[in-house]
Amino acid sequence: MRVSLKWLRELVDIEMDVAELCARLDMTGTKVEAVHTLGEALDGVVIGQVLECEPHPDADRLRYCTVDVGSEEPLRIVCGATNFSAGDKVPVATVGTVLPGGLEIKKAKLRGVESHGMMCSATELGVGADASGLLVLPANAPVGEPYASWAGLSDTVLELEVTPNRPDCLSMAGVAREVAAVTGTGYRVPASEPEESGTPAGELVSVSIADPDLCTRYAARVIAGVRIGPSPDWLAERVTAAGARPINNVVDVTNYVLYELGQPLHAFDLDTIAAADGRAAIIVRRAKPGERLTTLDGQDRGLAADTLVIADPSGPVALAGVMGGEATEVSAGTVDVLLESACFDPASTSRTSRRLGLISEASLRFERGVDPELQRRAVDRAAQLIAEVAGGAVASGVVDVYPAPAVPRTLTLRPERVAAIIGAEVLTSDIVSILTSLGMVAEEAEGDLVVTVPTFRPDLEREIDLIEEVLRVWGMDRVPSTLPGGRRAGSLGEAQRVQRAAGRALRAAGLCEHIGFAFADPADADRLGWEFGPGELPVRLINPMSEEQSVMRWTLLGGLLRAVSNNQRRGVPDVHLYEIANVFLTAEGRKLPKERLMIGGVMAGAWERPSWHGDARPLDFFDGKGVLETLMDALDVDRWQVRATTDRAWLQPGRSADVVVRGDVVGWIGEVAPGVLDAFECAGPVTVFELSFKSLLKAGKGTGSYVEVPRYPAVNLDIAIVVPEDVTAERVTAAIRSAGGELLEDARLFDVYRDPADSAPGERRLPEGTKSLAFALSYRSAERTLSDEDVAPAHERLVKTVLKKVGGSMRA
Amino acid sequence: MSIADDLRSMRDDAVRRIDQASDLEALEAVRIEYLGKKGSLTAILRGLGSLPADERPVVGKVSNEVRVAVEDALSARRETLRSARMEARIAAEAVDVTLPGRRRRAGTEHVIDQIVDEIVETFLGLGYTVAEGPEVELDYYNFTALNHPPDHPARALQDTFYVRDLSGDVATVEGESDVLLRTHTSPVQVHVMERQEPPIYVLAPGKVYRRDVADPSHLPQFTQIEGLVVDEGITFGDLKGTLEFFVKRMFGEDRRVRLRPHFFPFTEPSAEVDVSCAICGGEGCRSCGGEGWLEILGCGMVDPNVFGYVGIDPERYTGFAFGMGAERIAALKYGIPDLRLFVEGDMRFLRQF
Repeated sequence: MRVSLKWLRELVDIEMDVAELCARLDMTGTKVEAVHTLGEALDGVVIGQVLECEPHPDADRLRYCTVDVGSEEPLRIVCGATNFSAGDKVPVATVGTVLPGGLEIKKAKLRGVESHGMMCSATELGVGADASGLLVLPANAPVGEPYASWAGLSDTVLELEVTPNRPDCLSMAGVAREVAAVTGTGYRVPASEPEESGTPAGELVSVSIADPDLCTRYAARVIAGVRIGPSPDWLAERVTAAGARPINNVVDVTNYVLYELGQPLHAFDLDTIAAADGRAAIIVRRAKPGERLTTLDGQDRGLAADTLVIADPSGPVALAGVMGGEATEVSAGTVDVLLESACFDPASTSRTSRRLGLISEASLRFERGVDPELQRRAVDRAAQLIAEVAGGAVASGVVDVYPAPAVPRTLTLRPERVAAIIGAEVLTSDIVSILTSLGMVAEEAEGDLVVTVPTFRPDLEREIDLIEEVLRVWGMDRVPSTLPGGRRAGSLGEAQRVQRAAGRALRAAGLCEHIGFAFADPADADRLGWEFGPGELPVRLINPMSEEQSVMRWTLLGGLLRAVSNNQRRGVPDVHLYEIANVFLTAEGRKLPKERLMIGGVMAGAWERPSWHGDARPLDFFDGKGVLETLMDALDVDRWQVRATTDRAWLQPGRSADVVVRGDVVGWIGEVAPGVLDAFECAGPVTVFELSFKSLLKAGKGTGSYVEVPRYPAVNLDIAIVVPEDVTAERVTAAIRSAGGELLEDARLFDVYRDPADSAPGERRLPEGTKSLAFALSYRSAERTLSDEDVAPAHERLVKTVLKKVGGSMRA
Repeated sequence: MSIADDLRSMRDDAVRRIDQASDLEALEAVRIEYLGKKGSLTAILRGLGSLPADERPVVGKVSNEVRVAVEDALSARRETLRSARMEARIAAEAVDVTLPGRRRRAGTEHVIDQIVDEIVETFLGLGYTVAEGPEVELDYYNFTALNHPPDHPARALQDTFYVRDLSGDVATVEGESDVLLRTHTSPVQVHVMERQEPPIYVLAPGKVYRRDVADPSHLPQFTQIEGLVVDEGITFGDLKGTLEFFVKRMFGEDRRVRLRPHFFPFTEPSAEVDVSCAICGGEGCRSCGGEGWLEILGCGMVDPNVFGYVGIDPERYTGFAFGMGAERIAALKYGIPDLRLFVEGDMRFLRQF
C-alpha cells in the first residue's frame, strides 16, 4: 500500500517526523518497507521572475535576461527560448543543480557572456512533454520558492506492508485511523453528501441479487449528463501518487475513492445496460454454463459456473469485484453513468481472480474483505466528486440492496486474560483507550470488558484477537522477558544420536556432507538402469518447477553423481561426499508415500592431490568399503558383510556388492558402471554406496561390555594358501576362523598374489587359475605365555582343515 | 726384556691401535685381537700360572694394569665412535620441517547442518527435545489444522508443490490433491500436539519446499527450524525471553533483539523478530539495507484455533511457536551471497566450513 504523506496529513494529524512515524508503524505491526521522497530530483530549481530581456550581443538566437530568484542580486542568465517576456515567471535551475536528465548547471560563458543558471522547460524538469519553450508559470507563483514544493511535487510516499488480516489498512482513511491510534492523535473521515436532482435513481435502475451468499450488498447511483474528459490536476496527482494511471475523470474518481476509502467501485455507461421494465436492470448472479465476457483488457473469457457476475437481461456485463466488461465501460461518448458500490464475497472473488489470472486493486480488497457498511458512503462520495469534476447531475436516491445488514460483533475481553497471555499487567484503562482509538467501543461489565467491534475489522473475531490489538499498540518492547520454568530435561532421541554418530564417522573417514535437492529427474531411472521394486512408484509432483525436478528422489545416487559431475566440470577432481536424507516411494492406492532415511556416499578422484611424499592414488571400491568399515564400527554393527552382486545395474559388475547384515540386504556399494558415468557426465572411477539408516540403527548392537586387554604375548605365524580364483577371501578367512580353535585370536589377510598375466610358463609361481592369499595368524592365551610347541598342534590342524574346506594348497 | 716390558709395549701398541680404530667394527676387531678368547693379552694372562712364583706378583700386577688400560681405552674409544655414529645418523636423518605434513583430511559437516546442530544444542539446554515429521504432508497438517482458511493464497498451485495422490481420494481443497510437500515445519507442531499431552517443549528442524525459482535469494527447498512450547502459564514474555536467549547465544551477546507485531494464521499475537545488524549495530548501513535490523524469524502465541484442532484446552494451556530459516541465518552469519551454493555440493564451498 503506497501512502502519500501529503494526502495522509489531510486525514490525520501527524505530530512527529517521518522517521519516528515509520518506527512507530514498524513496531505496531504495519511495516514500512520503503520511503520514497518525490520532488527530491528538483532540489535547486526555484521560481524566478524575468525582470529584463535583452538580445545577446553576439548571437541572434539567444537572449540575455535578468531574473529575480528571491536572492539579493538577480541572476544574469542566457536563454535560447522565445516563448516568454519580461515579467513572466519561470522555473530556474540555479548553479549546482542536477536536473533529472543528469544535466548539471554550472556557471558558463555563452558566446562571451556569463550565465548563472538555466530557465527550464517542462521536459527539462521531467514534469511534462512540452519542450517547445520555457514552462511559464502563473502570475501568482511565489518568487524564490522551491519549484517542486510549490508545484506540489514534493511528497513523501510510504510503502506499507499491510498484513492479510488488516483489510481496513488498504485505504488512506484506514491508514489515517491506524496512525491516529498508534500515535495518539485524531483523524477525519472523508464523506460527501451529493446534491441530488432529476429523475430518482430508482426509476432508472433496478438491482437484484440472485446469489446473496456471494454478494451481501449492492448500492447504485446514477449521474446524468457527465462530460468525459481528463481529470483535473489534483485528481490525476492523487491517483498517480497511489500508483494508478489517470484514465478519465469518471474512472479516476472511482479509483480515488477506492484508495481513499477502500471501497472498489465500478462505473458503467448506463445506456449500455439492457433494460427490463423500462429500467436498466442489474442482476448479480453466478455465471451460467457457456457464458462468456470480453473484459476491459479486451480478452474474451469463458466463465466457470460459480463465477459471480454482474449481468443485465442480455448476459454478463462485468466480473464481480475483479474487472468490468468492455461493452459497458465508460467511454468518451458516455453521458449517463451507473455507479456500482458493492460488497462481494472474499473467497469467490479470490477464486475468480486466480482462475483468470486477473489481479486488480479491486479484487485484492474484496479478497481480504471490504467493510460491508462502507458502500453507501463510498457511492455518495464518488457521485459527488463525479458531479464536481465531470459535471452532470446526481440522480436522487440510492438503489441500495442490502438484504441482511451486518451486525457489529461484540466480544468479551477479560483483563486478567490479557495479563496471562502477554505476561505483563496492562491497566484496564489503557486497554479501553487502545481499543477505543482503534474504533471499538469497550464497556466494563462485572470486571470484564464488552467490546463492540466495527464492521471494518473482520479479523477481530475472538478475545485473543483483541489481546493482540492491545499488545501491539501497548508495545511488545514493554513486555518483560522471561524464560519458562524448568521441570524437564532435553535430550536427543536414540535415532537422532545414531544419525549424528553416522555423520561424524563419515566425516572422520574423509567425506564432506552434501545437502542436495529432494527433487529428481524421472529420466534418471533410465540413466541408472534402476528397477523399482514390485508395485513401487516414484512420487510425482503435480506442479513441478521443471520436468528435471518432477519427482521426489527415490535414491540419493542421482544427486550425488550430479555433484561429482559439477565438481569435475569446475576443475575439482577429488570429490568425497555423503548425504543423509529421505528418499520417497509410493504405490498405487497410497495417499502418502513412504519416506526412508538413507545414507549415501560418493568418492571420485583421490583423497589428496599428488604430494612430495606420494602420488594421488585413484579411489576405488576398497576406499568406499573402508568408509563403510569406519561407519559400521561407529554404529556398532559387527556382523556385516558384502556380497558380490551383478543385480545393481548402475554398478560395474565385478566391482559391486550388496551390504548384508545378518542375512538382510541393507544397501549396496560399488563402482559406477561406465555407461552410467557417461549418462551423468562423470569421469570414473566413481565409487558410491547407499544404505538404509533404519536397518543400520536396528543392527547396531549398542554398547558392548569390556573385553580384557591381552596380558600375555601372542605367537605369530604366517601362512600362504593357494586357492582357485573363484574362492573368495571371505570364504578362506571364514574357514580359518572356524578352524582356529580357541587359541586363534586373529587372522589378517596381508597379501594377495597372482602371477602376472604375461609371465612366461617357466616363470609362473602358481598353478594357472589360482591365487595366493597370505594371512598373518596370531595365537594367544588369556592365561599364559604360549610356546611354539603349544601352538604347533592347533596350527597343523588349522592348516589341514582349511585346505580341505577351500580346496587349496599351501604355497611352496 | 722382561715380560713386564713386553706387556707394557703390548699395551702401548693396543692403545694406539684402539685410538686408530675408525669405526665400531674395527674397534671390535682390535678388542678380539687382544682380549678375545684367543687374544694375545688373554694368552699372557692365562700363562701367568706357569710363571715362577717370584715373578708372579710383579707380572700379575703389570698385566692387570695393562688389561685395565686396554679396557679403558676400548670403552673410551667405543663411546667416541658411538656418539660420532649417532651424530652422523642424526645429521643424515634431518628433514626440511617446513614440508607439508602427511594427512587424510577429515570431511566437513554442511554449514546448514552446523547451524541446525548449534540451534538444537541451545534448545536441548533449555529442556527441549527434537521432533520430526514427514516431508510429504496432508493439506490438513500443513494448512487446515494451522488455521489457514480454505482459500488461503499459500495453498495456490503457484506457491505450494502438490503430490499426485494415488489413493483415489478427491481433494476438497485446491485441485486434484490434498497431498503436498510441506511448506514449513509447522505441521510437526500439529503431529506433536496430537500425540503428546502438555507440557510440550520441542524443536523440529527439517526440509521444507516452496515453489520459488532458485536464484541468489530463493531456493525451492530450504531448511526450517520450528519451536513449540505448550504448558500452563506460558506468556508472550516467555516467548520473548526464549528468543532473546537464543539470538544472543547464536549471534553474540552484544546483539539486540526486537519483536515487531506481524500476522501468521497459526499464532495470535504474532511477531517478526529482528536482530540488530552486526555491521552497524542498528544505525543502518548498506548490509542491512539501511534498516539497522535483520529479520530472522517469525513467532507468536499458539492460536486457540490450533489448540482446537488437536484437542488442547486453551483456557488451561497456552503456548508459543517460532520458526526460522537455516539458510538465511547461515547467509547472514557467513556473508554468503547466493543461496544456490548450499545445494550444489561444490567441494570448495563445503570445505570452507
